[in-house]
Amino acid sequence: MANDHLSLMAHLMRRAGFGATRDELERRLAVGYEATVEDLLHPEGYEPLDFYDFLRYLPLQWKPDTLNGMGQSGWVWRMINTKAPLQEKMCLFWHQIFATGVSKVDHYDEVVDMIDVFREKGLGKYRELLLDVARNPAMLYWLDNHENHATAVNENWGRELLELFTMGVGNYTEEDVYECSRAFTGWTISPKLPRYHMGRWDWHFEYRPYDHDDGEKTFLGHTGNFNGEDIIDIVLAQPATARFIARHLYGFFVADEVQVPAWQVMPPRDPEAIEVIANALSESDFDMRHTLRVLFNSDFFKEARFTKVKNPTEVVISALRLVGGAELPSLYVYDYCNQITYMGQDLLNPPSVEGWHYGVEWINSSSLMKRANFVADMVGETDRPGVRDIIERVRASGASPESAVDVCIELLGPVALNDETRAELIEHAQVLGEFAWDEAHEAESAQRVAELLQLIVATREYQFA
Amino acid sequence: MLTKIIGSRVYDYSHVIGDPNETLEPIALAIGEKNELFAIIKGILELSPNVTRFSLGDEPGDERIVSMIGGGYGEAPGQLTWPTGVALDSERNVYVTDAWTDRVSVFTVEGDFIRSFGSSGDGDGQFRRPSGIAIDANDNVLVVDALNDRVQKLTRDGSFISQWGSKGCGDGEFLSPWGITTDADGYVYVADYKNHRIQKFDGDGGFVFALGSRGSGDYEFDHPSDVAVDPDGDIYVCDWANNRVQAYDSDGMYITTFIGDAYELSKWQTEFVRANPDVHKARRRVYSLDPEKRFALPMGVAFDPHGSRLMVADTQRWRIQIYNKLLDYSEPQFNI
Repeated sequence: MANDHLSLMAHLMRRAGFGATRDELERRLAVGYEATVEDLLHPEGYEPLDFYDFLRYLPLQWKPDTLNGMGQSGWVWRMINTKAPLQEKMCLFWHQIFATGVSKVDHYDEVVDMIDVFREKGLGKYRELLLDVARNPAMLYWLDNHENHATAVNENWGRELLELFTMGVGNYTEEDVYECSRAFTGWTISPKLPRYHMGRWDWHFEYRPYDHDDGEKTFLGHTGNFNGEDIIDIVLAQPATARFIARHLYGFFVADEVQVPAWQVMPPRDPEAIEVIANALSESDFDMRHTLRVLFNSDFFKEARFTKVKNPTEVVISALRLVGGAELPSLYVYDYCNQITYMGQDLLNPPSVEGWHYGVEWINSSSLMKRANFVADMVGETDRPGVRDIIERVRASGASPESAVDVCIELLGPVALNDETRAELIEHAQVLGEFAWDEAHEAESAQRVAELLQLIVATREYQFA
Repeated sequence: MLTKIIGSRVYDYSHVIGDPNETLEPIALAIGEKNELFAIIKGILELSPNVTRFSLGDEPGDERIVSMIGGGYGEAPGQLTWPTGVALDSERNVYVTDAWTDRVSVFTVEGDFIRSFGSSGDGDGQFRRPSGIAIDANDNVLVVDALNDRVQKLTRDGSFISQWGSKGCGDGEFLSPWGITTDADGYVYVADYKNHRIQKFDGDGGFVFALGSRGSGDYEFDHPSDVAVDPDGDIYVCDWANNRVQAYDSDGMYITTFIGDAYELSKWQTEFVRANPDVHKARRRVYSLDPEKRFALPMGVAFDPHGSRLMVADTQRWRIQIYNKLLDYSEPQFNI
């Protein structure tokens, strides 16, 4: 069975990335856990993927149409192939919070531009990221700030800034929402060229002083002639903000939490952990790299194995990274995008400003079938390099059905299968007797290994990260 | 400026052709007879790829689509999935590389499928994502075999003749090469995409020179996608990720840069805007229409020797921009 160091490394890679092959786990184990955390926290140490290689074959993805699966494909290709998985995982984290969607924006490329901001700044200071988001055209349109005028205040962005992006409900008044919104009047989008006669165009932030409410505002007990930047400084100084972001980080990286709307009535699953994360945020001016270093090296993180239901993106991307063969840009990437959607996570098109409800809410009779079937299809393709590697490792373990089962369980995670399930798998494997690896039987044995893998990925336990 | 005078050369912006319904994502060009242009149209959602045959007419606005070549989207004989390069032989047959099916399909100019050759692999006559294609004066077919980092010379029926190139960044080596062309003297030019340079070879693959390195200045390219040569030997490099086309003389000396000058809409774009009042209004409220003029990730370039004009596949703007290379230019009176 897997040793605990390897199991812990696999846990880190599932949470801070999208899983890892056995080769990668062994390489990382050789340098150690803390060094691996540092490696993950520093994506700049890796040559970024050349996105032009993707556009060469799929040029429409430069400014994708608003058809299902189109806009997600570039990001999905990056997630499958990145050498810096935490960078993409942070994109997913921030996308869950700043849940801007193409259902309203109607331009995938603008939402993708926002993901690019997450990629560039997602591990940096939250203030800088939040300011970029406040000026991001997709967000301005998504939350109607382009309709927020000095003489006609629109509170949508101002309300969500306080409710969903910083403090959470219960820490401000309706008057604060109004005053906050006044401070963001004049933050808008430049007039843009239409898409239809020669393709889409970038949108640009524009600050219009003549449309900004220059009057005095009173916000969270502070009074002054505030602009949007001042508001962000005030909310980041509130202890509630650190706790709120801490709970988001805990729910995404450590263990499934209740959904955000319940936070005002349901205490955190682990209040001490939230305190540790919140302190890390406060002491570092909301430096995400510092905060995640504290989180990943904490005991509460290390002990939280298999306490999260994998989100659909994790299901699909981790399967593809495991089995390999998706490195080249290809038409299959559209199907990978659609599979994530079928499982309930239509990337770049969240169901609401709240993002997706997660945890057990990912699972229903339909999505469970999709999850199991997709991964089973992938591990059943014995010509995939990752599957071939597993088969070779099983082959090296000998002929015993029991050892074949154990090797498969290890190489797919290790997966924390209970004894009963393991026993059933062994019983099943024993029906056809020992594995024979001579030339006449190796194809049949390889197929038996693939079928074992398919059974394991269909278990309840495999649904957890 | 619409007219560029560089030494003895004069380039004059002519016009643009493009149809928001029919020319979505042109990615490669080939010149046929006088006023005849073939363009690979990648299409939306990869569902409608074809080679569109245009008659350009004698004046801007005379252009019309003659036919669309290709049996629809797919992998069956005559169908196209990822058409990537296009060229014509001396009998006016149209050769199309397909980077998805790893083969070359051959059609008549009327669009009838004749044959295909090639399969996936790295053997003689096999391809891994074939890209650019050119046909030399002897009707040999030159195929850029991108992921095998080589150029293959084949007969018109696909029989292997020779090859050159391997993976690397030295002279005669390639990293995912893309476009290819030949000149009047039989030299071969290849857009060495990931090495960010153009390489010139003799007709047997002998290395002559390399031009360029990565960057955005003169003598620099960023992921060059295609190359063309005019009858004077001037070289046009489609500098894809820099959103421009650069011109060099036959010795590799820099001449000028084109960034796109479409100051007027195409005939079909004009009709479209007139028919859509919201589009018309949205164009009139922007601070500037200058962005409409410029290339956006242009993928293909060709020089039309019949009309002495440079054609640029302005891929992301769904159009082809045309520049005349004037051979009989005289200066206007200065004080008019």
